[in-house]
Amino acid sequence: MMAVTMVGCSSTKESDKSTTDTATKEKVKLVFARGKDSTGASTKLVDAFKKSHPDIDVELREMPSDSNQSHDQYVTMFSAKSAEIDVFDLDVIWPAEFAQAGYLLPLDRFIQQDSIKTDDYIKGAYTAGSFNGQQWTMPKFIDTGLLFYRTDLVKEVPKTWDDLIKVAKATKGQGGTQFGYLMQAKQYEGIVCNFVEFAASYGGKIVDDKGQVVINNPGTIKGLSKMIEVAKSDFVPSNITTFTEQESHTAFLEGQAPMIRNWPYQYAMAQDPKQSKIVDKIGVAPLPAGDAGSAATLGGWLAGINKNSKHPKEAWEFLKFMTGKEGQKITAIDGGSAPTYLPEYDDADVQKASPLFANKDFVNGISKAVPRPTSPQYSKISEVIQIEVSKAIAGQETAEQAVQAMETKMKEIVK
Amino acid sequence: MAKKRLSEKQAGYLMVFPALLIILVIAIWPVVRSFWISLYDVRLNDPTKSQIHSSYGIDLERYANGFPLLKSNITKESQEVEPPVAKTLDAVMQSIQSADQELRQDQKFADQYKQVDDLLFDYKPVPEDLKFFDADKQKAEKLKQTLQDADKQLLDLANNKQLKHPDDVLGVVRGMEGSIIEPNFVGLAYYKQFLSDSRMWSSLGNTALFTVVSVVFELVLGLWIAVLINKQFVGRGLVRAAVLIPWAIPTVISALMWKFMYDGQNGILSHLMWQVGLISDPAVLLTTKAGAMFSTIFADVWKTTPFMALLLFAGLQTVPESLYEAAEVDGATKAQQFWRITLPMLKSSIMVALLFRTLDAFRVFDLIYVLTGGGPANSTETISIYAYKTMFAQMEFGAGSALSVLVFLCVALISMGYIKILGADLLGDNSGK
Repeated sequence: MMAVTMVGCSSTKESDKSTTDTATKEKVKLVFARGKDSTGASTKLVDAFKKSHPDIDVELREMPSDSNQSHDQYVTMFSAKSAEIDVFDLDVIWPAEFAQAGYLLPLDRFIQQDSIKTDDYIKGAYTAGSFNGQQWTMPKFIDTGLLFYRTDLVKEVPKTWDDLIKVAKATKGQGGTQFGYLMQAKQYEGIVCNFVEFAASYGGKIVDDKGQVVINNPGTIKGLSKMIEVAKSDFVPSNITTFTEQESHTAFLEGQAPMIRNWPYQYAMAQDPKQSKIVDKIGVAPLPAGDAGSAATLGGWLAGINKNSKHPKEAWEFLKFMTGKEGQKITAIDGGSAPTYLPEYDDADVQKASPLFANKDFVNGISKAVPRPTSPQYSKISEVIQIEVSKAIAGQETAEQAVQAMETKMKEIVK
Repeated sequence: MAKKRLSEKQAGYLMVFPALLIILVIAIWPVVRSFWISLYDVRLNDPTKSQIHSSYGIDLERYANGFPLLKSNITKESQEVEPPVAKTLDAVMQSIQSADQELRQDQKFADQYKQVDDLLFDYKPVPEDLKFFDADKQKAEKLKQTLQDADKQLLDLANNKQLKHPDDVLGVVRGMEGSIIEPNFVGLAYYKQFLSDSRMWSSLGNTALFTVVSVVFELVLGLWIAVLINKQFVGRGLVRAAVLIPWAIPTVISALMWKFMYDGQNGILSHLMWQVGLISDPAVLLTTKAGAMFSTIFADVWKTTPFMALLLFAGLQTVPESLYEAAEVDGATKAQQFWRITLPMLKSSIMVALLFRTLDAFRVFDLIYVLTGGGPANSTETISIYAYKTMFAQMEFGAGSALSVLVFLCVALISMGYIKILGADLLGDNSGK
């Protein structure tokens, strides 16, 4: 089997392989790293794996909840060729950069060897892990921006951004709320996601199919102007520029706002009576539309193997389990995140976990989410967006100036 | 015998030699190393520039990963496309294969390739010394040319929509292009770039503002506290201990504490300041430029004033009581005593404390990183945070090193300034004796 998948290798390899196999009979310990998990799904996942693979032990290691900080810690660790982590979660925007830096083990041989059916995965999520023709990660769950609202306060779900502004103004203060709308506008990756949604809903684009910077167009400017209008309005918290997902979902769960833009996990969390004051009072809808329809950012998490891992084969077993049928089921039911493994959506238990998962429109919509630019330079592109959009929201420059500045700086990066 | 004995001077040098060596290793070597890296275009997200390369070479790990894959992908692709396209594909493969053959004629290359390939096949990491093959310039450039031609041909096919899986073939060729190493020496280009970079200047400006304002406040408050705890009063021991608490708390924790107190929704401090009318809205402390700058300086003053106070307090204790008694007898007021006795006697203590604090404040990182992350809109980004972001968020180690060297230069200038004043005062006295 191995000899077939690897073209141009001599047959002596087969014997090498069997000797290493017998050598690894004793119990192997893997370390799996991921961002902070407030749902407890990861622990369950690891336990389930340990049960079905008694010869492999897995230790769960939590990283910071701010994905930018996790990123920097991974860079420090992997640059030093550390082998302390075997399997780790990656944000959808990292694979190109990490693959170029040589942090990831290419998975093509494993995928061929175990005949994984790649068509069973949501295409966007699977290809997010491919770069330069090789597959570097397997998709774990998929995210997309959604509008969550309080069914007891919002009578008519806003269809456009202008509707949203009207509804937010009207409902602010009702039923104990202090705000009308919540979003993420801190200077970090989240502001990029919010910006991409505003821009794309007005027909704006950042990078075209050929990798050229096309950000300076009327759609982007209009989208950004709308975003500034919302972020500066009096119906969002006055310190919205310090809000990440954490701050916004806390305010929403406390019943402080009738509407929020967030990722799918929000639903399961809001239905959890332990931390939520708004159980059974929430609904979910696509984000409002601009001139060019509704748009949602493609988010989500992938998982890959550290290239310096001492146990790549066992690591692959864990990765396969985690991103396969059983693992994704746990992530969907206990974590509330949308599976990337399509057959999961036909599973009755998964459908029960969130109304989203039983909804065909959601599944179709999630496949059309807008990806952020794929590039090994993504961190730099993202930083430019973060800074300029923050400046525009702070009133230091107009939407036109911000877009122009982004164009100039991005062209310098991509050249 | 006597002749062979070291003179006193030589013995002295021998005794301090280990210390000099340690200084060299832990203080000077990192600076030299940073400067060295800053002369090269080192960036981790580009495989050809992931470390310092002063000569041409081939990254065998990437090459051995790409070559067999390319072969199989092109073979697969040519079975699925139209015959004329398949012909072009074959020609492309032919040219790459002949380039490969040419390389393999070198026995050393062939051996090393096989070793790397074996390791890769077992999913074992490739050690550094096997990873790179030193090729001469001509060979490396020829391989690069071949791959670039292939890239162009495949791109044309892909643009005409004649390929079924363009990423599978084109991507692998691009991956292989990444295996060709060229020297990445750029000289002083990064310094030139940063000196005309408005972001560098604004972060330097933020750093300077932060340093000057916080150090001035710390000095005044620290001196005041030091004089106070030098006096006799009931419960002095308790006060002396209590003053040190802010200094004892780890910066990251105190920064988080302040972050909660400044918070625009639930922060106690922002709420109080808003009620008193100092700020127009509880949110301004962390969301506006002036507010955020104030917040970081305020937190820093709170944290490091005790340090200042402690240093000055130690200085105060060396001032002989008899001076004050004599002044008292001569009828000097308390204010006169402070200006004429305390301050002049404290001068060198103050200079040393200022030197420590200025350098510390200039390199400020953790407090701001936790409190504002450099925001909003980069208005509290200091030069250290800029360097960190360049290195770890953007993986540009060359550029980041250049920034670190700039920080070093600034710090060196500041210390030289202080030492000049101090030296005239302190060292000058000593050598005169």
